[in-house]
Amino acid sequence: MKRTAFILVLLIGLLLAWAARDFPAWGDPHSPASSSAVSSHFIANTGVDTEVPNMVTAVLADYRGFDTMFETVVVFIAGLAVFSILRGGPNRRTRDREFVVDFEPDLIVTNTVRLIVPVIQIFALYVLAHGHVSPGGGFQGGVAMGASFILIALSWDLKTALARFPIERCFTVAALGIVIYAGIGLLSMFLGGEFLDYAHLAKVFPVSPEMARYHAMLGVEIGVGFTVTAIMFALYAGLSTDGRMRDGL
Amino acid sequence: MGASLLVLMIPILYRIIMGPTGFDRILGVNVIGTKTAVILVIIGTLFDRVDMFVDFAIAYALLNFVGAIVVSRYFNRTVPLQEMEKPKPRRRAKV
Amino acid sequence: MIETIASAALSESANSPGWFLVHSIGVGMGILGLVFFLGTAVGMVRFPDFYTRMHAAGKGDTLSTMLMLAGFGLVMMEDFSAGSWLLLLKILGIVLFIFITTPSSSHALMRAAFEDDEMPLGEKDLKKLRKRGGKPSAR
Repeated sequence: MKRTAFILVLLIGLLLAWAARDFPAWGDPHSPASSSAVSSHFIANTGVDTEVPNMVTAVLADYRGFDTMFETVVVFIAGLAVFSILRGGPNRRTRDREFVVDFEPDLIVTNTVRLIVPVIQIFALYVLAHGHVSPGGGFQGGVAMGASFILIALSWDLKTALARFPIERCFTVAALGIVIYAGIGLLSMFLGGEFLDYAHLAKVFPVSPEMARYHAMLGVEIGVGFTVTAIMFALYAGLSTDGRMRDGL
Repeated sequence: MGASLLVLMIPILYRIIMGPTGFDRILGVNVIGTKTAVILVIIGTLFDRVDMFVDFAIAYALLNFVGAIVVSRYFNRTVPLQEMEKPKPRRRAKV
Repeated sequence: MIETIASAALSESANSPGWFLVHSIGVGMGILGLVFFLGTAVGMVRFPDFYTRMHAAGKGDTLSTMLMLAGFGLVMMEDFSAGSWLLLLKILGIVLFIFITTPSSSHALMRAAFEDDEMPLGEKDLKKLRKRGGKPSAR
C-alpha cells in the first residue's frame, strides 16, 4: 500500500513537472497574462487611481473587493461549521476519549514563548499595515497573529490561551471583521457610489479620492485580519479538543 | 553560497528519508527549515529586493519554531488511555 | 562616532579599503557558517543515535545560520543610507530570533523524545556497535 502510494505520488509529480513546460517563460512579455488588456490597465492605472505601490493589494482589496469580502465570509463560515459540527455532534461518542493529556508546561519553552509572542504580534501588525508596499495584508497578518495565540495554547495549555481569548469572543471578533469590511462598503454606498467604491469616502474625510481608496484598503485589511486571527484560533481550539474546549493537545 | 547550502542539505534529506525514528525526521526538517531563512535572503539578491525577502525569512523562521513546538507537543503530551489505566513503570534513561 | 564614519564613507567611493574590509569580514563569516553547516550535515549522517544527532544539529545549525545571516548582512551594507541600516537591523533581528527559538525548539524535541521512552545508547550498545563495525542497528 505504501509503495503504491509512493508510485502514485511520483507519477503525479512527474505529470505536474511535465505540464509545467507549457508555462510561459518568466517575465515573457507575450504570455497571455502579460498581453491581456486587463493587466495592462491595472499596471498603468493602479498607481494613478489608488496611490498604492503594490498592485496585488490594490487588485485584491479594491478592484475585486467584493470577491475578497466573500472570501472573508467563507473563512468565517468554515470556522462556524467546524465549531458547530464538533459541538453539536453525538456527545456520547466524543466523551469516549482515546487519550488523556499528560499536562506539564515546559519551563524553557514557556519562557521563550513569553519572549517572542510580542515580537510575533508586532510583526503581524507590520505585515498587515505594510501590505500596501510589500507583500502582505490582512490574511497573512491575521495568520501570524493567530499563530501567536496558538503558540500560547501549545506551550502552556488551552485553558491559558482561552483565558486570554475566549471562544465566544473569537466569534464576536470574527463577525466584527466582516462588519468592518461591509461597513466600509456600505458607507461608500450611502455617500453616492456603488458598494465598495471607496473613492466616494473622500466626501466625508479630508483626503483626496485616491488617498481615500488607499486608507479604505487599510481599513478593509484590518477587517480581514480580525476575522482570520479569530478563526485561526477557534479552529485550533475546536480541532485539538474534539470541540470540548478543554484538556486539549 | 546558496548552491553549497543546497548541496549540504542532501545528507540531511538522507536522514529525513531514512531516519530510523520519527524524531530524526523532524530534526532534519527543523534544520532545513532554519536554513530556508538563509536561502530566502540569498534569493532576495537575485531579484534585487532583499528588503522584501527579509520579511519572508522572518515569517519562515517563525513558522519553523511553531512547527517544532507542535510536533514535540504532539509526541509529548498524549498518552493512550489504556496505558494510563494500567500504570506501568516507564523506562527512564540512566544518567 | 558613527556620523564621522558615515561622512568619511560618503566622501569616499563605495570601493574604499574600509568597505573591502567589512565585505571580507562578511564573506569570512559566511564561509565559517558553511563550515559549521558541513559539521551538522556530517553529524546528522554519521552519529549513531538520536541524541547525538540532536547534538550535532542543534549546535551546528544555530551557529551556522547566525553566522551566515550576519555575514550576509555585512556584505549587503554598501552605504550608510537609512534603507541599508534598516536592512542590517532586520537581518540582525532574524539572527536574534533564531538565537532564541532554535535552541528552545531543540530542547522541546529532546524532551519529547525523552518522555517518549527513546533510550540513548548505553555502554553495551556501543560495544555491540563496535563489533558490527559501527553500523547502527535497524529499529
